[in-house]
Amino acid sequence: MVKLEMQGITLAYGDKKIVEDITFQVMPGEMVGLVGPNGSGKSTIIKALSRVVTPYSGTVLINGRDISRIPRRELSLLISVIPQIPLLPSAFTAFEIVLMGRNPHLGLFQYEGPRDMDIAWQAMEQTSTQCLAERRISELSGGEIQCVVIARALTQETQAILLDEPTANLDISRQIEILDLVKGLCRKNKLAVVAALHDLNLAAHYCDRLLLINRGGIHAEGTPIEVINTQNLEQVYGHGSYVHTHPLSGLPAVLPRVDSSRNSSLNK
Amino acid sequence: MSWQQAKLSHTNQAAPAAVYPHRRGRVYAILGLLVLFGVMVALAITVGSARIPLSTTIDILLSKLPLVDITPHWTSALETIILEIRLPRIILAGLVGAALAIAGATYQGLFRNPLADPYLIGVAQGAALGAVVGFILPIDWQWLGLGTVPLFAFVGALLSVAVVYTVARVGKVMPVTTLILAGVALGALLSSIVSYLIITSEEQLHGIMFWLMGSFSLTQWSEIKFVLPYMVVGVGVLLIYARSLNVMQLGEEQAQQLGIDVEKLKLILLTAATLVTAAAVSFVGIIGFVGIIIPHAVRLIWGPDYRFLLPLSVLVGAIFLILTDIVARTVLAPSEVPIGVITAFCGAPFFLYLLRRRTKVLF
Repeated sequence: MVKLEMQGITLAYGDKKIVEDITFQVMPGEMVGLVGPNGSGKSTIIKALSRVVTPYSGTVLINGRDISRIPRRELSLLISVIPQIPLLPSAFTAFEIVLMGRNPHLGLFQYEGPRDMDIAWQAMEQTSTQCLAERRISELSGGEIQCVVIARALTQETQAILLDEPTANLDISRQIEILDLVKGLCRKNKLAVVAALHDLNLAAHYCDRLLLINRGGIHAEGTPIEVINTQNLEQVYGHGSYVHTHPLSGLPAVLPRVDSSRNSSLNK
Repeated sequence: MSWQQAKLSHTNQAAPAAVYPHRRGRVYAILGLLVLFGVMVALAITVGSARIPLSTTIDILLSKLPLVDITPHWTSALETIILEIRLPRIILAGLVGAALAIAGATYQGLFRNPLADPYLIGVAQGAALGAVVGFILPIDWQWLGLGTVPLFAFVGALLSVAVVYTVARVGKVMPVTTLILAGVALGALLSSIVSYLIITSEEQLHGIMFWLMGSFSLTQWSEIKFVLPYMVVGVGVLLIYARSLNVMQLGEEQAQQLGIDVEKLKLILLTAATLVTAAAVSFVGIIGFVGIIIPHAVRLIWGPDYRFLLPLSVLVGAIFLILTDIVARTVLAPSEVPIGVITAFCGAPFFLYLLRRRTKVLF
């Protein structure tokens, strides 16, 4: 079980600050969602958590240890990442890609054994990608590639999972299937999960806590009911959305604000 | 088949080995190529201006082994031809072919660029400049039984890559694109110097041109002794890091998230591949085409997994260069054709045939 902490992280590309002074923590078994407009810094926060970018100031801690002092291989035994729009080498088969999730578990002179194969195969079962196993990446659709990468992250067997728009390429039933899976693992194996999500409805439904990110800072933080309200969304997204209550879950649900007067003016 | 149906039809009992069947086939391929390699060496040692039966050749070779006692039934001239002329030449051709092929495969994987070859970041141009300077300077050193030209070429190759690396490095990070661009730019600069020196050096012109196109003539054991340690260490390191090279194909960011220390890996692979290439070219000159085509041919036949691609490239590269050397020394016998001419002439049509025939993505 691991606890992730971000303490006063500021990130910059050159002189341009992308994220400024962000602090939050994720407990084992908790799923935290990052929501906010395009370019608000969600992906950059995910990258900082996996040490792909080095922060300008501040630290990321995993169980109280500074991740900049943890060797790459050890870190990838603790945290796996499902990237946004994963680029994969097209000549490899899906199974070969999933099996790469075992890389941090293997020594320099080791080959994947039957146990590694079984773990990869099970991860493909959980993500319904077994039927793709022998296909080459070039023959898969964007959504199928997304699921293969999710299977790879499960194969990594880490205690924290970071997801950057995991459902961007998926149809609505696959979105629910994948998020159900991640949420189930989060609860069952006490994983710490951070997910950057565009879809506020999915974020409200699946996340225990939400961070509403705007212009590189935390605009609001709390349970979905506390964060997703008309006032917050207007301040962050402008006048584009309308919040009501989901008839089945009682959680906030967001609709695009399109009213008839606006439509008629567009039709003129 | 939809996702849901697939989920039903596949159960946990299905052995993952069933979806990963390539492995055994690739192991057989390695064994088959080892046999082919033996055949090629036997052919190479038999073919030549002096007709020597294979049985005599084998007796000569065996008689040199400890604990084997065969009374010589051959002339000493025959023994010299086999042991001092043909054998070192074949071994060096095999070593160079293996080196260029594995270095090419490594650069292609490291740069994730199918156009990469062992000479991409200035090794060849640096070696060429070193060699040309070695030809022109009126000195004639001997060091470990080696002449000025190969030593200068070796140093030139390493120096030019060191310059490229230093220029391309930004702090602790080495962006691959910058490295390629710096290599191409420095290569152009060095080439222009080489061209100038060639024009101004009339009496050495033939020697220089022959070196630039590559040749295995007059190979000596001392050269093999010099080259062998670099090859063994370099090839060994590359084979060890083959799985990391697979993960690198995901791009640097995903590779890091899967536990690869990307900058360290780049430095290790670059150093090993460069040493191997520099050692190969400094004795035999710039043999083109092997380093780019052999890895692609292997990829077309056996797939992109570097754990098989690298050892298979070693074998195919060695076999290919021993074969082309046979052609180079027999087609215009008694004079020789530069091997670089033959590699492209034999290799290109075969590769074009493979490309035409391919049914799957290459890279």
